[in-house]
Amino acid sequence: MIHILGIRHHGPGSARNVKEFLEKVKPDIVLVEGPPEADPLLQWVNHEALKPPVAILVYQPDDPQRSSFYPFAEFSPEWQAIAYARRNNIHVRFMDLPISHQVALEKEKKEPPVAVEPSVNNYIIRNNEAGDKIAFAKDPISYLAEAAGYEDGEKWWEHMFEHRQSNEQVFEAVTEAMQVLRETMPGKEDRAEQCREAWMRKTIRQAEKEMFRNIAVICGAWHAPALVNMPSAKEDNELLKGLPKVKVECTWIPWTYSRLSYYSGYGAGIGSPGWYDHVWHYPHDDGTRWMAKVAQLFRTKQMDTSVAHVIEAVRLAESLASMRNLYKAGLEELNEATRTVLCNGESIQMQLINDELIVSNRIGEVPQEIPKPPLQLDIEKLQKRLRLPAAADFKDYTLDLRKENDLERSIFLHRLQLLEINWGERQEVTGKGTFKEQWRLQWSPELSINIIEKGNWGNTVAEAAEKFVMAKAGDADSLSVVTELLENTIPAELHRAVETCIQRINNLAAASGDVIQLMEVVPGLVQATRYGSVRKTDADLVMGIVNSMLTRIYVSLPAACTAVSDDAAQKLLEFFFKLNDAVNVLQQSDITSQWQQTLQAIATGGNTTPTIAGYATRLLADYKLLEGEALVRVFHYAMSSATPPDKAAAWLEGFLKGSGTILLIDNDLWNLVNNWVDTLDEETFTRVLPLLRRTFAGFSSPERKKLGEKVKTGGSGTTVKQVESNIDEERAKRGLPVIMQLLGIKTKP
Amino acid sequence: MSSLLRQHAEQLYAQELEELQKQETGKRPANWKLTPQSVVTYLTGGKLQNGFEVTPKYIGNKRLMEIAVATLTTDRALLLYGLPGTAKSWVSEHLAAAVCGDSTMIIQGTAGTSEEAIRYGWNYARLLAEGPSEKALVETPVMRSMKDGKIVRIEELTRIGADVQDTLITILSEKTLPIPELNSEVQAVRGFNVIATANNRDKGVNELSSALKRRFNTVILPVLDSMDEEIDIVKRRVESFEKVMELPAEPPALAEIRRIVTIFRELRSGVTLDGKTKIKTPSGTLSTAEAISVVNNGLAMAAYFGDGQLKAADLAAGIIGSVVKDPVQDKLVWQEYLETVVKPREDWKDIYRACRDLL
Repeated sequence: MIHILGIRHHGPGSARNVKEFLEKVKPDIVLVEGPPEADPLLQWVNHEALKPPVAILVYQPDDPQRSSFYPFAEFSPEWQAIAYARRNNIHVRFMDLPISHQVALEKEKKEPPVAVEPSVNNYIIRNNEAGDKIAFAKDPISYLAEAAGYEDGEKWWEHMFEHRQSNEQVFEAVTEAMQVLRETMPGKEDRAEQCREAWMRKTIRQAEKEMFRNIAVICGAWHAPALVNMPSAKEDNELLKGLPKVKVECTWIPWTYSRLSYYSGYGAGIGSPGWYDHVWHYPHDDGTRWMAKVAQLFRTKQMDTSVAHVIEAVRLAESLASMRNLYKAGLEELNEATRTVLCNGESIQMQLINDELIVSNRIGEVPQEIPKPPLQLDIEKLQKRLRLPAAADFKDYTLDLRKENDLERSIFLHRLQLLEINWGERQEVTGKGTFKEQWRLQWSPELSINIIEKGNWGNTVAEAAEKFVMAKAGDADSLSVVTELLENTIPAELHRAVETCIQRINNLAAASGDVIQLMEVVPGLVQATRYGSVRKTDADLVMGIVNSMLTRIYVSLPAACTAVSDDAAQKLLEFFFKLNDAVNVLQQSDITSQWQQTLQAIATGGNTTPTIAGYATRLLADYKLLEGEALVRVFHYAMSSATPPDKAAAWLEGFLKGSGTILLIDNDLWNLVNNWVDTLDEETFTRVLPLLRRTFAGFSSPERKKLGEKVKTGGSGTTVKQVESNIDEERAKRGLPVIMQLLGIKTKP
Repeated sequence: MSSLLRQHAEQLYAQELEELQKQETGKRPANWKLTPQSVVTYLTGGKLQNGFEVTPKYIGNKRLMEIAVATLTTDRALLLYGLPGTAKSWVSEHLAAAVCGDSTMIIQGTAGTSEEAIRYGWNYARLLAEGPSEKALVETPVMRSMKDGKIVRIEELTRIGADVQDTLITILSEKTLPIPELNSEVQAVRGFNVIATANNRDKGVNELSSALKRRFNTVILPVLDSMDEEIDIVKRRVESFEKVMELPAEPPALAEIRRIVTIFRELRSGVTLDGKTKIKTPSGTLSTAEAISVVNNGLAMAAYFGDGQLKAADLAAGIIGSVVKDPVQDKLVWQEYLETVVKPREDWKDIYRACRDLL
């Protein structure tokens, strides 16, 4: 006796029907739609540590990005069927066309590789099990739904089959309906589809041959008719002869409810995994329990929700359901009731319910003992030891690197990031100090593929990351790429990798004559050395290389600043700015003084592009190397009437780059600029106006406002008067001991 | 044809209500004239089994009407909430007409609405002559509805002072209206319920207290997001207006209505229909109801002062009147819209000129 049970993937009603049916007919073997390669994995179902939602990941060891998932929730009929078989110690097998053939068939078609988003294979019936490849104008179920007067195929299915409490003949009805659909719908010519169904039949025949008497077959409803009406075995064997093949492996991985929903682009997605979970666990709930959950959620978010609210909402949902002739209130009725009663008609809070309850962010678990790639094992071990559990919704961690555990966590996360396993994301931290780091962690099932992919670099995170970085550094031929790599490698504490990076940088820097590239790189390296204080790292090594690079820059920079076009000068200014910052961060007197000398050379060099000369002068003024009279003289010189006005304006732009405050405070300077503008005749003024405008547009708006006010008041500005006050020093001194005491400073008696 | 200026919903659609009553099979809640399903059909329109066509009264989301009707079957009151001109009063009138066949139990909420207007008042001559008695009592629509098991409508609930609003709490939760002077009370008969309307644009309204809010189910009536639905509404309403007013003008061309609705939608949403140009929005709400009155007004102009054909010039004054509510800011907005959007449109030259002349 063969029972064909056509189901909808991830339908709680189907799952219940399957479970009840199996318990009634007591089959001696269960065949489930799924990849036969994963048969050995089935023994783990019902293991207490394997908690759905989980997925079977099938991947090609030589190309892990080409992989497929078979997700299961607790309310998936397939899961219930397998669980039943395991509970009763009967045989259970997958019967779909082996993935090794499917992948090979796909390759044969020579479609452009779409491997970026791994395919999720457990298609819902709506996608008629073949993805979007077959062009149905509409999904077939919707024709049935339309005939029954429903607007949406999914809703119809739900009301017809999922909400039904008695399961008698449901499966026969489904098979019949699908039979009619298949007869009337054209376009089932796809070879892969035919092969799949042929393989399913082959598996059934095999089971019969092995003298199983009572066979239960669980498959997507669309396939059911093809398994009821068996063609001859010869025909199928013909079809399956000489199928191409590739090598695949499979394992269990944790899955999430949000990846089960359509929002994540899953073909067989369901709109409301969280709701289905609820329906599965509480099939007789009239909405009371659900509304109570909603109320609890609202309360945790500080929204007042009384028991009376819940009662009213349930009542409204019930009367809505009876108005619509429904057997009981579904999710839609409950949502409408929630909005009307609890949310005062607004739909903003509904989003919260959707995220937390309807989709929900549950994540599955996979037991430790399941054979897994070694890298995966190492990661899990570290996650456990460092108490960084994988969760489906994001969680923020603030790490204090002075603590041993937090430092280890940071190293671990940095290493994963180097391996391009993007579980954690570095966030900006507020506050000062290099000892704080903030990370946002969010696990997504695809990370499992990345882990497998990186598995060939090493068996532990440290080893894999080190080798991966070393290989990457070796391949890189641009300084900035290696520097960035180095910047990330230092906090990951991979010493050999750091050495390799430095070596590589040294080689590249020596070969590079481009001073701009060097300037681009140095600030990043300097940033890296700052970790020296917190981490016992290779800061010294980096310092050496920074020193040699700075020397190279100092030597060739003045020459690089001559005859630069306007656009290039703007870019160069950015680097100047960053480099100056970096030099200040280092706080090493010899480096700083060399830098100042270079600036001097640039500022006074006759051929330096005026914008840069202006900026260099400004930096010198900031270092207090040019002050008072000297500064006035330099400025005057630059602004003198012999200089072509556009050059002078460019110089001014460089000089005032980024800040007009100096203009506001320094009256001599103000007068200088003021006088200079005065001397311009109308024509020249019009010519330099755009340049001046460009400079002033860079100032912040309060600065501009103040400057405007200053011009308004006549330009001369107010001079700050020094107020002399008569302080009696002797009397003032007498108060000191009390102040010291207040401040807690001990004084000698 | 009736000589009344405006007929109540239950008078105007008496035939539809009757047909619906004849056709239905389901169970009616106590004191309802129709089953809940029929009430929804009456509101959203549809074809009955005998082929009788019910005209839609509310065009838009059917589910909202289902929620509203379902609310009335429970013991919670219904609050229709939304911008001015989103058919709140219209829906409430038709709901009352369909549920209890009487839409006249109505209290208009104003800042001056007193407790006596909601609970009961006294006939003072009688009170002085005979002392407090049943006869000296002046019943309000609320009291009468409670006795008869009907729907009472309260328009603009939020305009009523907060203390007066709260007299509704006992009525809604205990379903009784105590009369301490007579040491008696009126207990509501099954079928009694309240439909209130309130708008969320007005300033200086009295927010409902949370105790009162809890007794209401809120349904927000949205501004229509489909252009065609809005045109449909304007067209239907203008046609019925024409019939009632017996205007000697030709019915307006669909193109003319489309133009008005386009102008209103564009100004309301702050962007042209093609999504290419950003527009400033005026201070008024520019609801569908206003679009209807602009067309009606234009028809009257055309009938009595024009040649009987609705022309751009007949509409211009009405458009400006509803767009320019604030004489300074809105005028700028309107001028900008006229110059940047209306002027370049090839077949809008007439409307541009007509509006130009009026400014």
